[in-house]
Amino acid sequence: MRILVVEDELDLQRALVRALRDEGYAVDSANDGEDGFFNAKNTDYDAVILDVMMPRMDGWEVIKQLRKIKRTPVLMLTARDQSRDRVKGLDSGADDYVVKPFDLPELLARLRAIIRRSANKTTNQIELGSVVVDTAARNIMHSGKPVELTAREYSLVEFLALHRGEVVTRTTLYEHLFDEDDSTMSNLLDVHVSNVRKKLGPEFITTRRGHGYCIE
Amino acid sequence: MNFKSIKWRLQAWHGFLLVALVAGLMIGFYSFERRARLQSIDKALQEVMTSLLPKLSPAGNGRHNGPGDSRGFRRPPPPEFGGDIPEQAPGGFRARAVDGVDLGKFYYASWSPEGRVVSISTNAPPNLLPDERSIANTPGMIRTAGINRELTHHVPNGFRVIAGTSLAPMVAQLRQLALWLVVIGSSIVIVGSTIGWWLASQALRPIEAISRTAEEIARGDLSKRINSSETESELGQLALVLNSTFARLDAAFEHQKQFTYDAAHELRTPVSVILTQTQSTLNKERSPAEYRETLEACQRAAQRMRRLIESLLELARLDAGQETMKRVRFDLADATRECVEMVRPLADERRIVIRLELSPAGCHGDPERVAQVVLNLLTNAVQHNNDNGAIVVSTNPNNGFSTLIVSDSGPGIAPEHLPHLFKRFYRADGARTSSQGRSGLGLAISSAIIHAHGGSIEVNSNVGDGSQFTVRLPLA
Repeated sequence: MRILVVEDELDLQRALVRALRDEGYAVDSANDGEDGFFNAKNTDYDAVILDVMMPRMDGWEVIKQLRKIKRTPVLMLTARDQSRDRVKGLDSGADDYVVKPFDLPELLARLRAIIRRSANKTTNQIELGSVVVDTAARNIMHSGKPVELTAREYSLVEFLALHRGEVVTRTTLYEHLFDEDDSTMSNLLDVHVSNVRKKLGPEFITTRRGHGYCIE
Repeated sequence: MNFKSIKWRLQAWHGFLLVALVAGLMIGFYSFERRARLQSIDKALQEVMTSLLPKLSPAGNGRHNGPGDSRGFRRPPPPEFGGDIPEQAPGGFRARAVDGVDLGKFYYASWSPEGRVVSISTNAPPNLLPDERSIANTPGMIRTAGINRELTHHVPNGFRVIAGTSLAPMVAQLRQLALWLVVIGSSIVIVGSTIGWWLASQALRPIEAISRTAEEIARGDLSKRINSSETESELGQLALVLNSTFARLDAAFEHQKQFTYDAAHELRTPVSVILTQTQSTLNKERSPAEYRETLEACQRAAQRMRRLIESLLELARLDAGQETMKRVRFDLADATRECVEMVRPLADERRIVIRLELSPAGCHGDPERVAQVVLNLLTNAVQHNNDNGAIVVSTNPNNGFSTLIVSDSGPGIAPEHLPHLFKRFYRADGARTSSQGRSGLGLAISSAIIHAHGGSIEVNSNVGDGSQFTVRLPLA
């Protein structure tokens, strides 16, 4: 999962990025609306956390422009909590709205919820045969027993699980699992896939040669 | 029911005046009527007397009143009086009528100079006596004896005549009249009071409307307004005045509310920094460097809150007029020069040139507070300038004011922002949050300080052409 944080208050932005990385997300950040819109336009993020009050281009404008071209889930972050601001936020295309100062666990839960909704899932549990992925607890059970996965491995499984039955290209996986700061080694993805297969069975992830990976 | 209300007082006065007026009119009418009737009775008595006198004169013999008096009284007939008055009185008199004069409701009697009854009508009241007061040769005197009205006549030859009539019918009629007058008078009073009550209600209705609206406003609904459609009337004017007062109150409250709201949510950003930083850091074990980073972020947030709170308190003091301004003479040019030296390092960092055109400009006020304003303007000029830009600072005395002008070569301010620039928490760049320590209150505070000095502050700006702030302070 790759998230974009657009926030001009740098101390807040850094704390959010760190918290999201701790959760296993790949995270990019932007310091103002213009940069944020540029990033959101050019990368398929799984979700965007967007501050409203920003110099150069405010959050309203970013979401207005973004909605013309993309359905990326957006969580608005703002210091305004008057009802009309919330209405404006939701009407302009935001998927959810969090008021500062927020509680970090609540923000993360809302983020999971908008990602889940965009994948048309209603619960946090995804069952894949004998394997159950819990996107809230971020763990995986295999035949009722918990399986130890690294954060990156988990993200790989979660992304493929959310796109179950679809063939996901290597490019897409790179885009969603790694952020701008990650050094992209071309075989890093293969290492993660082979590790997951070792832990959950060789048939869990199938390879479509020339296309990508898939969970049936 | 509030009997002290204007309506009741009006009603009481109105009722009192109405009763007095109607009663006066009625009484006047009654006495006029009574007098008129008495007069007509008296006139009738006179006529009766006139027609009686010749007929009561003894025919043929008798002393004449005078040489020309042909209507002298006859000598009275011989005394044959015995209490009862015979139908056919001596001397050929009939008691009831005197020869063709229908006396009807009138009665009469005549007495000889010796006091004997000469003739008396049958309908005369008993114990009828001549008027002892009547003096010889007095043509006639009216008297009221009991229920009767009588005209006495003293003929020069000593005979005395009385013609009278009963007032009973008149009294009965007057009583009837009085009854009618009371009925009519009461009706007038009742109808008049009702109309008065209605008029008072009509007149007071706008006042009631005003007080109802005022009550609602007092209860907290400041958006209510008095209906002031009748702007021509006195109450319409009052309503207009009250409405504009309410509007000002409403605006002041709204302003206050917005200010409190803005202040509260200016605090949201630093609080969310502290909350998010600490929550994410405490999630798991961190390295000392990471803890240090978190603490520094929290410190920055706390310092920002402190600056914000100080600014808020300063504004509150300025609003309340508690900030005591010193009143001393000082040179605006000197104060400005010191401030320029303070921002110069900041300007040098971005290679911004500050040019000074300072002429001595004495003014009267608090030099520290004025320096605060100058520093704020200079800091803004540096922060909102382009790298390698320029700032021109000038002071000079001018038209009774000492003027300070700070011009920068920055990007300028869009016209839509200009009217709001001195408003609290207004930021032209739309950014609420800023780690540079700007609270959005700097210009608001500057404006408050300059206005407390009796001066003015204004801004001119064109996009792409820089901005120019002008401060005018009263000359020393």
